[in-house]
Amino acid sequence: MVSLPRDITPGAAARRSLLADFLIALVLALVAIALAAGIGVVGFAALLLLLVLLLWIGIEAAVRRGLRRRGAAAATVSPRQSPET
Amino acid sequence: MPSTRRDRRPRRLPLWRRARRVLLLACCICLIPAGVSWVSALSAPHNVGIGVASVEWLRQHGGNSLVSQIENTYYTLTAPEKGGPPLRSLPQVGVAAVEEEEEEEGKGKAATAYRPANVKPLIQPALPGEGVWKKAGAKVGSRPPVLLTTFRSDPEYPQFVAGVAWIDSSQTHLEYVPGLAEPPEISNRGPAEVPQGLRKKLVATFNGGFPLETSNAGLIYRGETVESMVNGIATLVEYRDGRVDIVKWEHGPNPGPRVLFAKQNLPPIIYEGKLNPNLGDGPEWGATVNNAVRVWRSGLGIDSHGNLLYAAANYQTVESLAKILQRAGAVRALELDINEDWTSFITYRHPGAGEPSNMLPEMFRPPERYLTPDERDFFAVYLRPGRKW
Repeated sequence: MVSLPRDITPGAAARRSLLADFLIALVLALVAIALAAGIGVVGFAALLLLLVLLLWIGIEAAVRRGLRRRGAAAATVSPRQSPET
Repeated sequence: MPSTRRDRRPRRLPLWRRARRVLLLACCICLIPAGVSWVSALSAPHNVGIGVASVEWLRQHGGNSLVSQIENTYYTLTAPEKGGPPLRSLPQVGVAAVEEEEEEEGKGKAATAYRPANVKPLIQPALPGEGVWKKAGAKVGSRPPVLLTTFRSDPEYPQFVAGVAWIDSSQTHLEYVPGLAEPPEISNRGPAEVPQGLRKKLVATFNGGFPLETSNAGLIYRGETVESMVNGIATLVEYRDGRVDIVKWEHGPNPGPRVLFAKQNLPPIIYEGKLNPNLGDGPEWGATVNNAVRVWRSGLGIDSHGNLLYAAANYQTVESLAKILQRAGAVRALELDINEDWTSFITYRHPGAGEPSNMLPEMFRPPERYLTPDERDFFAVYLRPGRKW
């Protein structure tokens, strides 16, 4: 039996994690397709869920970017103020 | 060096973020077969918009109850209010009142032919021409094969106008025409439109009823069973001798040798002159919007002389539709399609399918609908052999 190398780069670890997630997603999708009344219902539900998830990711990214910008702006305006104060 | 190893250790994603990623990937995977199916359905020939085609695709792929739920909610939210200002006129239908034509031609010739009595208006005072039968075609002589009328069908909703057509079975014969997509499996589909060679005799066309998947009923086409017949279901049947009837089917799954075509659609809404006492909601009324939801509805009945009566109107429940047909003289009747996209009754004023016109002006689909290939099955009414315009 071949064991996976333990000492790997962060990139390789991320790819490995993505592959694992993809396999779980594949199983999840196959179960959904098998159990649903038809491919139409699965597609409709998947489309709605995808939109919600993309919206969530988009809002999260926008909020993070906004916070980062605010932090950068605060640092430029008062360079002597340290984060601890 | 231990410090280097710590630096190289990958940053782990939080569990919720991984779960979100798994869901996202699962959605994308699910969308691949659904997308392929949807695109191939939309790239097949069709004559409805992308929205309607997508809803039809969803219905055909397990989304029937989902679509019905959405439609129920939508139609309930947009239900019309009772009352409103009274109408001053009715939409113009047909070419001339039958009595006027008779007076012009002399009454002797048409005196022996059966002609239905005008529909008694429900709301008083009656509007000009309300319930009066008018010829659908020009120059059809003193025995018009198709008559049309309109009347206000519900005193609580005085703005609703119902359209009714009467089809003389002694002068016409009915033909079932499969559509491009409905019925889904049929060996001899044909052109899905009125064949060019038959148009010179064409007098009317109308929608063919629920798709087989939603009606859970049977179909016989050219004497062969396309879908097994179901006992107790209202059935429009044409026998090989040309006689047409609406019956409650009691002959088992397969047709007898006398049946040319038979199309079933839900339980009868009128039987032996009486309204079906179970016109409220229930699973026997198919996988579609609730019976009490007000929406475009159409139905087909037969009078005591064996002539067909077609009725359609917007904002109808199954019960109000049945009452329209009963008022027009139907003794047995079934519901046909609902929703504006599927309800059509078209007459042709001149031979060769000339000057087609919808029975009601607010009917959504164009009057040329069945002169080009159509999604759904429909019925064409032709003059019998030997009968001329």
